[in-house]
Amino acid sequence: MSKHQYAMVMDLNKCLGCQTCTIACKKLWTDRDGTGYMYWNNVETRPGLGYPRQWDRIGGGWKDGSLQPSPLPTMDDYGHAWEYNYERRLYEGKKQPVMPSPEPKSGVNWDEDVGGMNEDENYFFYLPRICNHCTHPACLEACPRKAIYKREEDGIVVIDQDRCQGYRYCIKACPYKKIYFNEVTGKSEKCIFCYPRLEKGQVNACAAQCPGRLRFVGLLDDPESPVHKLVLVHKIALPLFPEKGTQPNVFYVPPFNPPKRGNYGSSIQDGPRVPLDYLIYLFGPDVKDVITRLEAELKKTQEGGRSEALQLLIGRDAETRFHVRPQLVQIQL
Amino acid sequence: MRIRQLLIIASSVLLLSSMIWAQAGAKPAAGQSLSVAVSSASPDSLLNGGPAAWNQIAVKRVALNRTPPLYDTDEPATLEIQSVDVRTARTGGKLLVELSWRDPTRDAIALADVPDTPPETRFRKVQTEADDRFFDAAAVMFPAKTDSGAIAPSLQMGDAEHPVEIYYWNATRGAMLMQAQGRGTTRRTGQNFPVNSTYQNGQWNVIFELPDLPAGTTVAFAVWNGSQKDRDGRKYFSVWQALE
Repeated sequence: MSKHQYAMVMDLNKCLGCQTCTIACKKLWTDRDGTGYMYWNNVETRPGLGYPRQWDRIGGGWKDGSLQPSPLPTMDDYGHAWEYNYERRLYEGKKQPVMPSPEPKSGVNWDEDVGGMNEDENYFFYLPRICNHCTHPACLEACPRKAIYKREEDGIVVIDQDRCQGYRYCIKACPYKKIYFNEVTGKSEKCIFCYPRLEKGQVNACAAQCPGRLRFVGLLDDPESPVHKLVLVHKIALPLFPEKGTQPNVFYVPPFNPPKRGNYGSSIQDGPRVPLDYLIYLFGPDVKDVITRLEAELKKTQEGGRSEALQLLIGRDAETRFHVRPQLVQIQL
Repeated sequence: MRIRQLLIIASSVLLLSSMIWAQAGAKPAAGQSLSVAVSSASPDSLLNGGPAAWNQIAVKRVALNRTPPLYDTDEPATLEIQSVDVRTARTGGKLLVELSWRDPTRDAIALADVPDTPPETRFRKVQTEADDRFFDAAAVMFPAKTDSGAIAPSLQMGDAEHPVEIYYWNATRGAMLMQAQGRGTTRRTGQNFPVNSTYQNGQWNVIFELPDLPAGTTVAFAVWNGSQKDRDGRKYFSVWQALE
């Protein structure tokens, strides 16, 4: 158990699927050899295949205290990184169209905006995903090299690149499939919750760049932090697939509005735009209570009152959304 | 499922008994010794001279065991490689060990060269081609302290009092010298060693150049089969063999 735990809350009602977080992460961390196919942060359309595709049905995680089996996703599941033949077109003067190679057959955002059907109407929403920096990480337990550790000071889960031998038991164990194998280095890697930024008092790149301002960052155990308030005080944010048993520290405010039909303010539960069963699939049965709470807060404001929870979710400025403190003790080199 | 569990238990018992035997510090039994030829050929000619250089040296067939599934989530694996043929020769202050074994699948690739320039300065990066393949490999393990008398270290990578040296070769990533003091402690030293490998007609032939080891030193061998997703302790292993 770490002394403190960094956490992130993402308000799915505000995500516009612009992938700015994805690119912020990619440019900062996975613009290296072997990392082309990796997206430590990705935004997938739900319902949908996800990335790697069908990750939510592959396996891993805990059941009755035991790690659950899982195959490794293949490159077809992630989607090969492709390049364009600019050289041939632009420098060698070949009169060919600029084409990607290898031929794209799947990819990180392959089924964007496809969504699903609710009776005769299409619906979808975006689900941004990073490593959940779990309290009970299956990856850590699965590593025979003890290369994965949870930082005592802030609960961030990282892979020691010196100890990692690329066995990939962690990838199998992670029920969220948020660890990636770099065949060039022969080691596995993952989201590091931007700990080098946090140590300097800067928030995670994905959160800093988010135009929808839907990400909240802070210590879960800090009563002043927005994540503490959203998760533990207002109780309007839930982890993804809680039944996988890893206790994620990334939480989601579920999509709750507007209803499919009817007047503004009528309950999503009367005529759900997003089928409630699907939200229960993703966030567990507590999602119903969370939506009820959110709707009560909304009603409060519609009647002229003030909702602390909704004011916080608006997240007007960085000070509201992020509570990041640089390390008090800097190591002097 | 029941049969698999029984198999796991049976093989665990086998493995454990060999571990206990190894940890008890008994000398390898008769028949578990390796004769070492004294060669007049140079280490380099034995390493790189092809099969002719080894013609006069006797072969010992060493039985391989399969580790039982180590984790609840491991897929079971069958004993596809029963044995490894070993030849050893002393020359020029070196001990050369040749391992040959049958493996119908050659699990090895040529990794793309990574340019020395920083990736951010390059238009193209070297890409991961596949994330789910494992490669053939082999290793020779021996006690780091060769003066430890009759005590053979634990076959599970030695222990705190009996560290081991592991000369590891991977069909894709090459030679790596490792050290360990018990299971889970294996670490790369960053050093490598001369090795030569060939794959022909469904057979691997790998020659390791080790420092000379005194007579009586125990050595053990391991083989990994990439197509069986072998890595880590998921492998084939021999019991200790004493060098004559």
